[in-house]
Amino acid sequence: MAVKFFGQFLIGQGIVSSEALLKAIDLQDKNNLKFGEMAVAMGLVTPAEIRRAHNAQMSKDMKLGDLLVEMGFLTAAQMDDVFIRQKSTHLYIGEALVQAGALTDEELRKQLDAFKADQAEYVSDGIELPITTADNHIWEMTADLTYKMITRVLDLRFRPDKCTLATVIPHNFMLAAMDLSGDVEVRYLISVSEGLQKSIARVILGEASVDDEPAEVLEDTVMEFVNVVCGNVAAKASQTGVIININPPVTLHPPASGLPIPDGHRALSFPIHIEDGDTMEMILLIKG
Amino acid sequence: MKKVLVVDDSLSVARQLEKILAESGDFTCVGHAKNGAEAIKMNHTENPDIICMDMNMPGMDGLTALRTLSVMDKEVKVVMVTSLGGVGDKFTEALKLGAKNVISKPFEAGDVLRILREL
Repeated sequence: MAVKFFGQFLIGQGIVSSEALLKAIDLQDKNNLKFGEMAVAMGLVTPAEIRRAHNAQMSKDMKLGDLLVEMGFLTAAQMDDVFIRQKSTHLYIGEALVQAGALTDEELRKQLDAFKADQAEYVSDGIELPITTADNHIWEMTADLTYKMITRVLDLRFRPDKCTLATVIPHNFMLAAMDLSGDVEVRYLISVSEGLQKSIARVILGEASVDDEPAEVLEDTVMEFVNVVCGNVAAKASQTGVIININPPVTLHPPASGLPIPDGHRALSFPIHIEDGDTMEMILLIKG
Repeated sequence: MKKVLVVDDSLSVARQLEKILAESGDFTCVGHAKNGAEAIKMNHTENPDIICMDMNMPGMDGLTALRTLSVMDKEVKVVMVTSLGGVGDKFTEALKLGAKNVISKPFEAGDVLRILREL
């Protein structure tokens, strides 16, 4: 029901044991060299130059390869050669499981097909954004997974509206927010009305009525929905090599005038019209 | 009946898990800790057979608590229940630290009980 990686899928299906998976991961760790290790193994840089570049990374927000080029230790063409070598020698988890004797080639092919079928519902359909950034694919995937989780987790029928650039975060009954860090810096927010909050709580708690539930519990259900979406966004992003860390969710209660967009940020607004006439809004507060 | 300690900062997840455990007939929930530090304390006082623990919690997170628990208590079986289950690095780190399995959120009652019964 969630975004998974292949090893987790195989354990969940009882195809391989956790011990076999750990053995395969160990093989991957030994085989799949990091950029600096590969550059040294190819004889293009020395370990001392890698250490100098790592030290420089503490004060410069640059990837190691770019920094090595900037510092004159590598040419751009050599950097590309390292990437190509990394890609061509990469040992995937399925291959590592075969090497470890946990799967045959035939079983691997069969399980890869089953895994693709299991995860097919999480393949992005593509969403139009009003801005162009290097991370647009992440914002599109985040919106797409939010829509899918509204269907899968909340069991709500809805129609997504066009994404726009917002100048203010509008007032609503409550907002649940989660800060995402790592390769992206963004705050993910979901804005709901009082009625929608109760609909979410009924589904999450599995109760026919939530009228007697304390406000703290009702708010928590919206935060948990945000947690589930963002965790799955992190999982999906990790499949493309993008690292996203999540933080504990929080709630916000905007004033009637709404919340301003902080300096140096852009806000993407995704209105979501729920079947019963209510509106939910997803907002991505993107730094930069 | 096996004793289970639920560790999650979310009240609603704790409620969901407690309900699943209560309806199973095989497990009883002996408490709810809201972070890793509380989990370590309650593992000592409640002596559970199984701990179902979130990864992403304020204060001490689940992986830090798992690291401590696997040194302090060799008997208790820890299953991580997390929205980060699909992140390969987090999944494998949990297994390396001694978790018996990792359940991704959103979860279904049948999957949770199957995994707990397999322990």
